[in-house]
Amino acid sequence: MSLRRRSILTGTAGALAAAAIARPSFAADSVMVGVSGPLTGPNAQYGAQWKDAFELALEEVNPSAAHKVQYQFEDSQADPRQTVAIAQKFVNDSRIIMELGDFSSTASMAASPIYQRAKLVQFGFTNSHPDFTKGGDYMWSNSISQAEEQPSLADYAITDLGRRRLGVIHLNTDWGVTSKNLFVSAVQSKGATVTLAEGFLPNERDFRSTLVRIRDSNPDGIVIIAYYADAATIIRQIRTLGLTQTIIAVSSVYSPKLIELGGDAVNGVHTLSNFFPGEPRAEVQRFVTAFQAKYAREPDNFNATAYDTMVLVSKLVNTYGTTRAAIREGLPQVESPSVIYGTIKFDPATRRVSGAQYKKLVVKDGAFAMFQGGTPA
Amino acid sequence: MNMPGLGAWFDYTVNGIVIGNIYAMLAVGLALIYGVANLVNFAHGSVYVVGAYVGWAAITYLGTPLPVTILCVVVVCGLVGVGIERLGLRPLHGSSRIAPLLATIGIALVLDQVVQLIFSPDPRAVPMQVPEWRIPIGGGTIGPLDLLIGGIGLASAAVLYGFLRFTKLGWAVRATAQDSDAAQQMGVDINKVNMAVFAIASALSGISGLLVGMYYNQINPAMSFEATLKGIVALIIGGLGNVPGAIGGSLILGLTESYGIALFGTSYRNLFAFVLLIAMLLWRPNGLFSGRSSLPPEPMTGTFIARSRPFRIPPWAVAGLIVAAALLPLLNNPYVLQIGVNSLLYGMLALSLTLVAGTVGQISLGHAALLAIGGYTSGLLAMDAGWPVAVTIPIAGIVTAGLGTLLVFPAFRLTGHYVSIATLGIGEIVSLVILNWSGLTHGAIGLGGIPPLEVFGYDLGSVEGTYWLCLVILVLLALLQLRLLSSHLGRSWRAIRDDSVAARSYGVSGNRYKALAFGFGGFGAGISGAITAHSYSYINHETFNATLSVLALTMVILGGLGNVMGAVLGATLLIALPEAFRGLAEYRILIYGLVLLLLIRFRPQGLMGTV
Amino acid sequence: MAAMLEVRGLVKRFGGVTAVNDASLDLREGELLSIIGPNGAGKTTLFNLISGLEPPDAGSVRFMDQDVTGTEPERLARLGMARTFQHGRVFANLSVLDNVLVGAHTRLRAVRPAIPLLGPLLELGLAAIRPAAVRAEEEALREDAKRILTLFGDRLLPRIDNPAFSLSYANRRRVEIARALALHPKLLLLDEPTAGMNQTETVEMQEVVHDLKRSGLTILLIEHKLEMVMRLSDRVIVMDNGSRIAEGLPQEVRSDPAVIEAYLGHRETGAAAPAREDVS
Repeated sequence: MSLRRRSILTGTAGALAAAAIARPSFAADSVMVGVSGPLTGPNAQYGAQWKDAFELALEEVNPSAAHKVQYQFEDSQADPRQTVAIAQKFVNDSRIIMELGDFSSTASMAASPIYQRAKLVQFGFTNSHPDFTKGGDYMWSNSISQAEEQPSLADYAITDLGRRRLGVIHLNTDWGVTSKNLFVSAVQSKGATVTLAEGFLPNERDFRSTLVRIRDSNPDGIVIIAYYADAATIIRQIRTLGLTQTIIAVSSVYSPKLIELGGDAVNGVHTLSNFFPGEPRAEVQRFVTAFQAKYAREPDNFNATAYDTMVLVSKLVNTYGTTRAAIREGLPQVESPSVIYGTIKFDPATRRVSGAQYKKLVVKDGAFAMFQGGTPA
Repeated sequence: MNMPGLGAWFDYTVNGIVIGNIYAMLAVGLALIYGVANLVNFAHGSVYVVGAYVGWAAITYLGTPLPVTILCVVVVCGLVGVGIERLGLRPLHGSSRIAPLLATIGIALVLDQVVQLIFSPDPRAVPMQVPEWRIPIGGGTIGPLDLLIGGIGLASAAVLYGFLRFTKLGWAVRATAQDSDAAQQMGVDINKVNMAVFAIASALSGISGLLVGMYYNQINPAMSFEATLKGIVALIIGGLGNVPGAIGGSLILGLTESYGIALFGTSYRNLFAFVLLIAMLLWRPNGLFSGRSSLPPEPMTGTFIARSRPFRIPPWAVAGLIVAAALLPLLNNPYVLQIGVNSLLYGMLALSLTLVAGTVGQISLGHAALLAIGGYTSGLLAMDAGWPVAVTIPIAGIVTAGLGTLLVFPAFRLTGHYVSIATLGIGEIVSLVILNWSGLTHGAIGLGGIPPLEVFGYDLGSVEGTYWLCLVILVLLALLQLRLLSSHLGRSWRAIRDDSVAARSYGVSGNRYKALAFGFGGFGAGISGAITAHSYSYINHETFNATLSVLALTMVILGGLGNVMGAVLGATLLIALPEAFRGLAEYRILIYGLVLLLLIRFRPQGLMGTV
Repeated sequence: MAAMLEVRGLVKRFGGVTAVNDASLDLREGELLSIIGPNGAGKTTLFNLISGLEPPDAGSVRFMDQDVTGTEPERLARLGMARTFQHGRVFANLSVLDNVLVGAHTRLRAVRPAIPLLGPLLELGLAAIRPAAVRAEEEALREDAKRILTLFGDRLLPRIDNPAFSLSYANRRRVEIARALALHPKLLLLDEPTAGMNQTETVEMQEVVHDLKRSGLTILLIEHKLEMVMRLSDRVIVMDNGSRIAEGLPQEVRSDPAVIEAYLGHRETGAAAPAREDVS
């Protein structure tokens, strides 16, 4: 986060001053969306990633748009007690016509009853919890649906990589467990076996004993359902323990950070991503180039999802109108260009997007590359 | 459960020792500080994080080689340790024994937040500065860092031993650990000794942060709490203040976790660690490596009750405040009202905690578990059994009262620091049981679609409705608590707090009255958790986490321990003020930490005075 | 008639040190028995063993015809044993009156129904609802507590609502004795009631204890001030190094060579400073 890497001396004073003037002035042709997300606390890095992507998206779409989008970012620390207060703030601020976030499903879903009651769209763009959009017809999400990703991942492991016995290590949270369950049934429907599934707690660092357990279930592939930071640690320990099985990981490990944190150990790791900077598609290249120009680093999945979301917001207000009702009416119909999906189009019944395109990737010589087939590393 | 083979057991043993090795570096420092200053240093994990980041910065920006990196870490962390001693310990000399412990919690909040502000919460890779060869052992391998970490752990224990045995300052440290008053009379400069010990222990903690960061090739500011927690568990196993014991305790903790994973699976890992913690506290509070099995004579008598004359609000003013609160919905500002709801819900929690921690003197660090029990009870009864919410909420209160009391009952014979550590452990156990007992609790998926608040057909799901409900319940609970405090129960509870030995000698049974306090407190907290669950519609095992317990304790100290009006005031302030300063969001936790520190230092009786 | 308190062969060791070694004594109703001896002789440890604060390693204690060896202090309080502490353990944040009322805890009947399991819940309910019987009982105890406080003249009465931490050392000792009396004890254990008091205060305290004895109360007294012991005691036991070295009438004990030797051998005898006694 180069933007967030402040020098020690100027950091505090600068941030104080910035906070004092952070509230944007509100122009007549502007529309305001509320963002509820973590800027402090254990998930603060994700809020920072959103901000970067939002800024970039708005710089691109606003100049040519009739209605310029602005956002008000409230720090929730992804804490449900704060998201409910923020929700009341947003629903009672008549300028705000749509809400984005929060980061964790726990935090988002606590606020859902308030948004639903106030008929303000809550757009939980990272909320993959299957119950999130069941909270009401104002809960929408373009987050990657695990129901789609997990069969693709199973397919990658079984069809492309020829694995028959898979050991799974997953984050023991709502997201991790949902993903794991979907993955297990996808594997079984393809006639392969999950030898063992082990859930770990957030903040755990030591996976050696877990990996011995998985090793002894005798798999020919190890599947990791985790975020990049944990995945990097797990992969390093897999190799430290001398395990040589093929490693396949979910798309949320796709981040330049995986390589930074994983070092040499992550070479040969397979993953999927619906976003890959190396993909030649025009939306992707435009986004990657612009992001790199602005922030001097490669974007990752979280950046791409947040970017897509802000582009979608602009599309909605400029096509369907600038009221809360217009947003709600526009969502079932909207088609918005997307880095992740190509085009975002919602299924009005589930209020989610389907049809994400998965790129099969493999880490090669310290970089992600498109998987070209062949025997696994 | 299938039994691993012999070869696997060997691997599990090696793995247990490898991770135990890492815990040992934390536990040794904690043991040293405890041995001399009688303090469980909750900021230890934060110093570990500071060390990791100082090392990272030195390598990244200055390109230092390993010895210089370690020197940088030692210097900075040693200074941080001196700072902790100067700010967190020395000024609190003469106040109750629990005060420095609370101060270290405040320091931990501040340090973690400062590190996060400077370095961002993003995880970072620490460049490896040791050679990368590996020795195959059993089915796995160990590398030079394993040996280095183990070596430093043992060497630091040996150096400490030599220092304590053979140097003048070491002699002073030992004398101070034995009897600080006597040592002082013999001309030992206690402050100098304490400062030296904090510097050494903190430097050690910083080095472990650096090496562990290298080991995992990853550091982030959030890793401090886990480090503190595991270090404390290892410390208790080995025996408070016992440096070689701390190493043994760490290895036992590592092995317990590793074998627990082998037998039951990864998600039970921490459950085993905390069950071991509680078992040790109950059966061998002096640790495995000490001869005696009883608590040392009067280990931490006295509570965090500052002597004060509480500020009494006349009844008409209380009535006025209730009326004003009741009129708040007329402002027609749902945002303010939602903050009101939050304050009221926290107010119920604070009332409960101020009774337990203030009136009875049991400083609980696991109070959020009561919310979780209440929330899950009501949520599950409403969802899975289909009972009406008007019935499930009171039942949640009763279940929480019963279950909460039952869980903490074995810890009633503990005092002082032991109570805080035990309740912290019990809180973690509750959360882990919720996570693992998926047949009942839906596990990690959590409870989604909890029905909204509704009482006999009246929809209370609106913010106004919820506010009214919470206000009525809070006022009733507060009045009831005041009434109990003015009865013989009030004086019995406070007698136990002030001197449990004398109280028992007059027939005031500690168990009975602590149970009554936890029962009544559990009822209010359970109701608060239940209402929270219904208004959120979704909860999981992390909704009510340990941070919340610390926040509740800060509220209660802010208001004045044991003070009913103070608890409500503390909750309102700590909920409302951060909302008022949302612009300073990034500094919020920093501010909590500073508030806690300043209170303990300058106004331990809180705003309204202790009762 | 059997003795009210029968102590037989009590032993207590701390590490390698034997703090109490084969201590035995009998105390009859209405008697005042004093235990004297140099600091570290094991007097307070003996008190702790009798009053259930520490379990003995060997020996037995009978009180009111019941075996109470190693029993919990709560039960002894119910049986009518009250004690004060060597260094004055008042409830610092409670008012003087509340301190005394805690002493009357075992006398609470209406608010503490003796029903197993449900008793505590009923107690909570009764404390909240406070029916007439509970109010009357509380009122009676308050009156009784005030009556007890009058024993100390004007020392405590004007400070009845003050927190105990605001009292002088001597006053805290008085509060302790008042608290013990509020239990309406059958047996009163006084551990150095005059420690830290000046001459006038000591004389005053001596009168109070004398009055208590005259009223028929059975008292076991630890005291360093020999004049007081000689005046008040029916019998005296002398302890040294954990063992009983002499027992008898005050005059007999005073002239016993072993006692003189023990006292001369310890120069600190009679020191009233709150030294760390008996816990080693």
